[in-house]
Amino acid sequence: MNTLTTIITLLIFPGGLCLLLLGLAYEWVDRKLVARLQNRVGPRWFQPLADTIKLLAKEEVVPENVQARLFTVLPVIALAGALTSALYVPLFGLKPAYSFEGDLIVAIYLLSLLTLCTGLAGANTYNRFSLIGATRTLTQLFSYEAPFLLALFGPAIVAGSWKISEIAGYAESHWLVLTQPVGFIVALIGLMGKLELPPFDAPEAETEIVAGALTEYSGRGLALFHLGKGVELVVGLTLVAAFYLGGVANPLAFFVKTLVILLGLAGLQALFTRLRIEQTVGLWWRYGALLVLVQFLALIVWEGWVA
Amino acid sequence: MKLSTMWKDALGSLLRRPATEKYPFVRLRAPEQLRSQLHWDLEACTGCGLCAKDCPADAIEIITLDRKAKRFVFHYAIDRCTFCAQCVVSCRQGCLKMSNDEWELASLTKEPLRVYYGEDADVETVLAGAPEPDAEPAPGD
Amino acid sequence: MQSKIDKFTIPIGPQHPALKEPGHFEFSVDGEIVTDASVRLGYVHRGIEKGTEGRNWVQSLYLLERICGICSHVHATAYCLGVEKLAGVEVPPRAQAIRVLVAELERVHSHMLWLGVAAHEAGFDTLFMYSWRDRETVMNLLEGITGNRVNYSANVLGGVKCDISAEQDEAIRQGVDFLEERTRHYLEVVTSDMMFLRRTRGVATTPKAQARELGLIGPTGRASGISHDVRVDAPYAAYDIYPVKLITATAGDLEARFIVRINELFESYRVIRQILDTLPEGELTVRMPRRIKEGETVSRVEAPRGELFYFIKSNGTDTPERIKVRTPTLPNMASVLVLAIGHQLADIPMILTGIDPCFSCNDRMVVVKDSGGDNRAMTWEALRQYGIEYYR
Repeated sequence: MNTLTTIITLLIFPGGLCLLLLGLAYEWVDRKLVARLQNRVGPRWFQPLADTIKLLAKEEVVPENVQARLFTVLPVIALAGALTSALYVPLFGLKPAYSFEGDLIVAIYLLSLLTLCTGLAGANTYNRFSLIGATRTLTQLFSYEAPFLLALFGPAIVAGSWKISEIAGYAESHWLVLTQPVGFIVALIGLMGKLELPPFDAPEAETEIVAGALTEYSGRGLALFHLGKGVELVVGLTLVAAFYLGGVANPLAFFVKTLVILLGLAGLQALFTRLRIEQTVGLWWRYGALLVLVQFLALIVWEGWVA
Repeated sequence: MKLSTMWKDALGSLLRRPATEKYPFVRLRAPEQLRSQLHWDLEACTGCGLCAKDCPADAIEIITLDRKAKRFVFHYAIDRCTFCAQCVVSCRQGCLKMSNDEWELASLTKEPLRVYYGEDADVETVLAGAPEPDAEPAPGD
Repeated sequence: MQSKIDKFTIPIGPQHPALKEPGHFEFSVDGEIVTDASVRLGYVHRGIEKGTEGRNWVQSLYLLERICGICSHVHATAYCLGVEKLAGVEVPPRAQAIRVLVAELERVHSHMLWLGVAAHEAGFDTLFMYSWRDRETVMNLLEGITGNRVNYSANVLGGVKCDISAEQDEAIRQGVDFLEERTRHYLEVVTSDMMFLRRTRGVATTPKAQARELGLIGPTGRASGISHDVRVDAPYAAYDIYPVKLITATAGDLEARFIVRINELFESYRVIRQILDTLPEGELTVRMPRRIKEGETVSRVEAPRGELFYFIKSNGTDTPERIKVRTPTLPNMASVLVLAIGHQLADIPMILTGIDPCFSCNDRMVVVKDSGGDNRAMTWEALRQYGIEYYR
């Protein structure tokens, strides 16, 4: 019985299948919102699902001169990383499936696995767009990762725990967005960088390098990367909502809060011009990292004085 | 220098209907001047052939069966027509007119794109000798 | 990976999302910085100049109009003006005014289109969507006046086909009022949006001397302070009655090109209103002879992209002897290659779009010399056989 519950938890709800579908649904909401902000109609509700099914059904072309095994296995690792990280996150307003001291760091690094896999996938091929895309992906990873991490550590410091469930529990009674506004904004924008959403989409800027690191991917590999992105979007939104917007104690709060953040993300996507990669790096290290670091130090000092 | 200049447009659009035209579901009203399918008036035509001569796309062919009895067949190839209306300008008798609401002319076969205007009997005579429009072209063609 | 890479080249085109038409560019990059650039054109050579020689004067008009889908009317106007000059025909003033009216509406649509495309290349899709939404207004106006959204065919030899009725007059005024308000907003966007300016200000800066050296024309040249506009320098059609103010800027960067093009829109709106206010009465066409007198002439008009040049030669028959077209993209194309060097790869689509390129217009015949033993040269029959074998 217990094994059955575990399997269901992992594969159907809240992890696995439901998470994948939720990722696609959130991708649709995002696309629809951006479309409406641009006075367009936008895709119909099943569009991301239809795209995924179509891609999964298609032949995967493995180009010449690549490490074929690496080429096929990278998307799987990317998706697996994103799905695993979801196990430590309070999805749908439920308790995380697994929890241990320090799971925050593990979850964040599992999320980065997708970006790393994308970079590797690009570097694996001979395609020149992929190579440039891979360089940009990894450059961007190094620019937003540290500030994003620090922005999520802020709540951890005040909660006095490295456990996602405990931080979320602490955040339920404290709206940290009010006490750590810098952290909230950096986390939000860091999430956009992580997901390579505009204006941080230089790694996959279609007018320059076609599809960036994933240019050579088609069929199943591409579908898996897309699914991974969707999962990462959900996990990222959940983390930000749980830490900064007063927790996600019940399903209603989960959906309302994550969708509100998604609306904000859609607005930012619509309003800004794509940054060049060196502008992205400059923005993060000159402002993002500095501001969040100052806030982080202030938090430590404050906690030190209080404690 | 402003951080964002288009936020008013974006916010306004959230409350407004999308500007996208829902064409296949909602058919648009064509303007008065629109040039679509060509129509030919047998009564006025003298068979001078100036329209066919000036047509930049060779879309018009006037088949004269009997000039004195005014037995003309006007063969109009919609798939060739560029809807420039030069024939309408060239015609001195004013027997050509372009309609403004028959603009959904796409077709999967060539059959509906070959239009023959004229007396029914004459058209049949002409069609009897015309090749099948959807037939495969002969090899080596 | 290759063991040794001297040059890392990024191919752009012939199929690439940044290009709306085929052309092949190769940019050598050092990291993100472009160190060398080359271009290969000619993918959409259609043999139009030669094609005119097998058609009569009337048919050629519609063929030439299809050189460009965006500025089709100026091609037709340039051709008509030239042929009418050769035939010694005086076109009625109302027809000339309507020609100018349609030309200015076309300029509005072309510049709005460019604004959207350039914004898209920069990754500012919201500006792209909004400018194209508003461009629909002028497209609908053109459709209402001429009967087609593209390739309007407003011209015939000896006049125009379409007239402006009272309702159309009203519709144009309303449309232009709306567009003027929106254009003012877009001017504000491109001159004050911080994120957008980071992609345009100081990018592809062309000082006046360099612009002259590269031979920049049209709005691209005017953004560098080259005060040259055929509508002002050598007024044609009705531009002597409705004079246009020359719009220039001095900065020469991408921002200046945005500003020049948008300010030209205001000038177009003014001219359109002025034409509607004082549209002369009278005939729309005069009769044209079918055979044009022997002779040759040149005809110059200002296309939305710059000076458009036609050379027309008649041998006294009803078909042209020779027509030579010089479109404005070709002189501007060289500037892309020069300006790209030293810029970031991310700026390349912007620099390329900055000249408002139109590839189909500038593709000319290329003579490939058979350099003896070069197996890339093939006869038509051999090529056909090769194709059959290849796809068997």
